[in-house]
Amino acid sequence: MSGVGALRSVGLRTAPTTRGLRRWLLRPEAPAAVFLVVLLAAFSLAADRFLSPDNLESILVQVAVLGIIALAVNQVILAGEIDISVGSMLGLCAVAVGTVATATGGLLAPLAAGVATGVLAGAVNGLLVTLGRIPSIIVTLGMLYALRGVILLVTGGTWITQIPDETRVLGLAKLAGVSLPVFVMFALFLIVNAVSRNSTWGRDVFAVGGNRRAARLAGLAIDRPRLLAFALVGAFVGIAATIYVGRAGSVQTNAGEGLELQVIAAVVIGGTSIAGGRGSALAPVIGAVLIGVILNGMILVGVPGVWQSAVLGALILLAVTTDALRRRLVGGAA
Amino acid sequence: MRTSNRSTLTVAALAAVVALVSGCGETGQGPQQSAKEGGKIICLMPKLVGIPYFEASKTGAEEAAKELKVELTYNGPTEGKAALQVEMIEQLIQRQCGAISVAANDPDALAPAMKKAKEAGIATGAWDADVKKDARDVFVNQATFEAVGKQLVDIMSKQTGEKGDFLVVTGSLTAPNQRAWLEEMKAHMADKYPDMKVAAVEPGEENLQKGIDVTRDYLKANPDTAGVFGITSVALPGAAEAVEQAGLDGKVKVTGLTTPNEMKDYIKKGTVEEFVLWNPVDLGYLAVHVAKAQLDKKLPKSGKFKAGRLGEVEVVKPDEVLLGPPIVFNKDNIGEYDF
Amino acid sequence: MSANQLRPLDVLKGVRFTRELVLLCLLIVLVVVLGQMSPVFFTVGNLLNTSRFFVEVGLIALGMTLIIITGGIDLSVGAAMALVAVTVGLAHQSGVPMALALVLGLAVGLAAGLFNGLMITRLDLHPLVVTLGTFALFRGIALGVSGGGAVSSFPQWFEYFGQFYLGPVPGQLFVFIAAVTAVWLLLSRTPFGRYVYAIGNNEEAARFSGVPVRRVKVVLYTGIGVLVSMAAVIYTSRVSTSRADFGAGLELDVISAVVLGGASIYGGSGTIAGTVLGVVIIATLRNGLSLAGVETTWQVFLLGVLLIAAVFVNEFFRRREE
Repeated sequence: MSGVGALRSVGLRTAPTTRGLRRWLLRPEAPAAVFLVVLLAAFSLAADRFLSPDNLESILVQVAVLGIIALAVNQVILAGEIDISVGSMLGLCAVAVGTVATATGGLLAPLAAGVATGVLAGAVNGLLVTLGRIPSIIVTLGMLYALRGVILLVTGGTWITQIPDETRVLGLAKLAGVSLPVFVMFALFLIVNAVSRNSTWGRDVFAVGGNRRAARLAGLAIDRPRLLAFALVGAFVGIAATIYVGRAGSVQTNAGEGLELQVIAAVVIGGTSIAGGRGSALAPVIGAVLIGVILNGMILVGVPGVWQSAVLGALILLAVTTDALRRRLVGGAA
Repeated sequence: MRTSNRSTLTVAALAAVVALVSGCGETGQGPQQSAKEGGKIICLMPKLVGIPYFEASKTGAEEAAKELKVELTYNGPTEGKAALQVEMIEQLIQRQCGAISVAANDPDALAPAMKKAKEAGIATGAWDADVKKDARDVFVNQATFEAVGKQLVDIMSKQTGEKGDFLVVTGSLTAPNQRAWLEEMKAHMADKYPDMKVAAVEPGEENLQKGIDVTRDYLKANPDTAGVFGITSVALPGAAEAVEQAGLDGKVKVTGLTTPNEMKDYIKKGTVEEFVLWNPVDLGYLAVHVAKAQLDKKLPKSGKFKAGRLGEVEVVKPDEVLLGPPIVFNKDNIGEYDF
Repeated sequence: MSANQLRPLDVLKGVRFTRELVLLCLLIVLVVVLGQMSPVFFTVGNLLNTSRFFVEVGLIALGMTLIIITGGIDLSVGAAMALVAVTVGLAHQSGVPMALALVLGLAVGLAAGLFNGLMITRLDLHPLVVTLGTFALFRGIALGVSGGGAVSSFPQWFEYFGQFYLGPVPGQLFVFIAAVTAVWLLLSRTPFGRYVYAIGNNEEAARFSGVPVRRVKVVLYTGIGVLVSMAAVIYTSRVSTSRADFGAGLELDVISAVVLGGASIYGGSGTIAGTVLGVVIIATLRNGLSLAGVETTWQVFLLGVLLIAAVFVNEFFRRREE
């Protein structure tokens, strides 16, 4: 399934009238999408191997883990909360996957272990936020530290190596020339997108994030949508961890460190508002792909290692500036 | 929930946290008591804890401590940051260690703290990664930067016919020891293998996935690359994995520095033929022996130093003890090691 | 049964349980417990020494408090610190007199903050998003310009700067106390401080009431840039070296302290006293646990638990008041 196909299936028109164009541009992920296209064009001119199907597929594979987690964190942010524990969660789930994999082999058992660990951690986050009434920034900040400690204590500092090949299938196998992680990411995107737009939970998430007090006064549940969102993050992190272990081949003790910042970046650059209530399931995917394009493009173009962070930062700033540009051109909320 | 129940719950929660905190402290009582009883503590600090390399040196250090019947504290920050080490050194001074030996994340940043230790009468040393010379009494070196750099280049030259363009994947672009190895590698190439060149240096940021991605992308953009050096314990497995996944094993040669357990698979499959390290278990072991000798004021300034099961180790300079030449791991000997 | 449970709390009923009071109690409990775990903890020497380490985080946390009160955030502070340090180092290395190098560093820090402030106000972008970009950009510039190398040959007097004592008290502590006083006065006794709270409570309403919202924000982000420069200079002097990887992870330390201190991440509330307590509590915990020989992996875990527990306790008392 190609990127354009996915875009079509969510109703973005490809031959719009002016009014339709304006409506499309007002979608939350539009500026990021435009910037992505610009970048793709720029990099393909600067490096001839960039636009090859092999390289494009490679980019998608590289951001699959990021994209999958961002899809779920996107829901948490839409609900008006935040989750910065996902990096440590990924490490912990990867340890679970690796431990079960080296003990029993196979794919389903390690995957289940990863997802279970993730859902457990996510539920802890969710409960502390909803029942404990502790702000999510603090809960997930605390969990970021606490889970990292748990990883070190459980592994004792040793890597988990020699992961059996069957477990690595989710990370390495290919279907019709395209790696499985890409399929998983798009499948999860379609599911989350459908659920987000059509289910009660999905609509409650937008309501709670948009204006929590109004939602409560209107009689909507405000605790359950958020709890489910946090648990969803855990489940998706578990799936992503299985892909990660498959691709990396071993589990290091610092796996996932720093991931939370990339995830937040993918979500907000993609167009979901950090304040909550505004965004879409497509935003984190576009944001993740954008980050992947930048990282890959820089190496293909030959940007020296010492300047890569500066280029990344500059491009991120450019990406968010397109949002401001859009506002000048077509109006629309900040 | 009724207020009174909630208040009990809250007080109980707070008490639980306090109990947990003090409970964890119980395990730490040991060193203080020994110090009061007159035994001197040896305080060994790795760059960071939680990675296989420094867990291995911990094993060696504890072995030596048991052998010499000294009290050992082996602790380091959870991240390889000099700032955290500075704090911990100052705390070690407060805890009245007899000897402090540190694997430095930054040779200059730790100097002021180590000098303070010296002034407090504590025997100071460095191991694995040195601090400024005037900030410590002795440096326990595993292998000189020169020896490591040369060995890496020699290995690669054998596999690539002494020519080619190479990618170096490092940890961070600011780490002093990685920079030093890189300098030695470049110097050796310029000196002995003029047809070999370091074409690019990419940071892997001690992140396995990033190391894999960076190597893959680079090889895609530069298909004529002859080989990849992964010069940290995360970069090498990452590079090997990337070469394998791209189907280039055998065509693009891979070598570098890391602990053997991570490489056993790649050696078996032939993706990596040889790689370099020294024995961190022995290094930790030696560091404790040297520290003990410092405490007993028995450390020689030249010649040989007898260090337990390692036998005679060379004192190459008045302030430097050398573990020995780097070890080259390959499929013939890798089975003998477990760290 | 319930009568017995209520009685101890009745005693406390008269006391207003502000967040700061709760934190102070927590700090006292911590000090007592840590003092039990290690005999050297509760010595004047050790306590003063600990203060040297939290000054850098503390200075920046002061600025971050104001920013968070307005509902904003600044993730680029660690990276800006590296940029300032590298500027000072490279300037000195290329022959610029040290005093001038320090001024240059200050200018760079200020410029970095100003850049953030302008991007946020002129382009109407969310601070999280902008500072996410500058987080990468600033460190990237520091890395590129320095090539990853370090500068470590600073003049004697500069090294003295970060390591000097006035009697038993470390010099940095005076700087910190001065800064705390200044920012506290600014926040609680000036119209500017009232503007900050107003923006945090309801930005639209503030704007309609005549609060110069944009100007205030620019001042805040530039101001934290100045604080970052100060912290960078102190740190560089303390370790006598300058490198592009300084301040990595600093933003998390600063934000931890500020949220522990009671500032709401949504804006509108927060105090300097709370932030200072937050900074001191975290530093004390780390110091005490280290002295007690607790392994650092446990320390990381405990810090996370503490953060959550402290806020849980605070929320409890807050609800009691309502």
